[in-house]
Amino acid sequence: MNFLRWFTSKQLMAPAGAYSDAGAGDEEIPDHELIKSCQGGDTRAFETLVTRHRGKVYAMVQNMIKNEADSWDLSQEVFLKVWKALPKFEARAKFSTWLYRITHNVVYDWLRKRKIDSAGELDDGILNEADIAAGSRTSPAMTARPDQALVNSELGQRINAALATLNAEHRETILLREVQGFDYKEIAKVMDCSLGTVMSRLYYARKKLQALLGDEKGKN
Amino acid sequence: MPEKNSKHYSVMKKEKTEELFVKWIDGQLSRDEEAQLSDLLNDDPDLEGELGELKALRQSVKAEIPASVEPPYGDFFNSQLMRKVDLQIESQRPVKKAERWWQSFRWAWAPVGALALVLSFFAGHRIARPETPMVAETKINQPEQSALTTVYFTGEALDAEVISDSEGDVSVIVVTGLSAIRDDIDFATVTTRIELPKSFSSSEARRFQ
Repeated sequence: MNFLRWFTSKQLMAPAGAYSDAGAGDEEIPDHELIKSCQGGDTRAFETLVTRHRGKVYAMVQNMIKNEADSWDLSQEVFLKVWKALPKFEARAKFSTWLYRITHNVVYDWLRKRKIDSAGELDDGILNEADIAAGSRTSPAMTARPDQALVNSELGQRINAALATLNAEHRETILLREVQGFDYKEIAKVMDCSLGTVMSRLYYARKKLQALLGDEKGKN
Repeated sequence: MPEKNSKHYSVMKKEKTEELFVKWIDGQLSRDEEAQLSDLLNDDPDLEGELGELKALRQSVKAEIPASVEPPYGDFFNSQLMRKVDLQIESQRPVKKAERWWQSFRWAWAPVGALALVLSFFAGHRIARPETPMVAETKINQPEQSALTTVYFTGEALDAEVISDSEGDVSVIVVTGLSAIRDDIDFATVTTRIELPKSFSSSEARRFQ
């Protein structure tokens, strides 16, 4: 570890037992305290924050772009932007909303760039998982975890396929509401839109999902 | 009675109705809103069934799509990220201005330097050349690349040294601690494969573009 980082870390300066290694016993330290430390330049506190929130960010990015390799890069980009923007973060704001706002911006920048690079051939509303070669891997091979086993259930696969056909705004609204449990105001902040727009998107996204899954049921 | 054929009124009514449906599915209706929805349900008996299906769908999505998925090799994710953070901190560090106190001694540099040369010549001091390495010269010209050149192993006590030759555009990774490969091994029957994360390879490739 960088000597300067170690020397200036709170672990050294704080009373014994106040801090531990990143990821071990850090649940007691609330986010706002970690953020305060990060704003003072404490990178160990930032690493603890990353460990705590990386799962949610990675899940959100992966569900939005359906690409494991880029999900890794984009998730790192999110946290790098968080680090750069932390000096401007106001402690009274909710960290998770702010974090997801940054995630939203990173994902949409990626979608826009992909659209430009593909010269409009790819509709970002259609990320057809069936087009991805079966068995192809874009991330390190791992044995299935319990949460992965859940995702891989038949209904989960159908829901994922249906979500992939929604446009980015509808998909994101559903993920923020149903999966991440955000309320309407928080969704409006993350997506930078009005409450009415959130309601409308939620309504139409749910209707469309129901129609897609209902169609599949009919075929089966 | 308001003009029901007014376009603005229809849009507002439609938005309000959608809001009621969404809130009913989410269990967020106020008492007044419950009463409004009740009127709508009385007008359309099929509506309650449709909304019920949407409610069930919501539960399915919540159950089937995980809110949190750890990225593969979380410790590597963190270490790679923190290296980028360190580079970011380095790039933000302001260039240290020259202290004024030594500027007044600049006049002495040239004569001191010349004196040192003369002394070295007369002393006949010879600096022994270090033993040249048996491998390509290690000379990393781009510190930002060397800071991000890492070798990551899972679960094994191995050591690695990365030797880069920027002129030849060659990098050699010397790994020590690996088990010896038997002479009689049949590679056709070996099934264990170890792959570097493709995300790491693509990330590295992008950096060198």
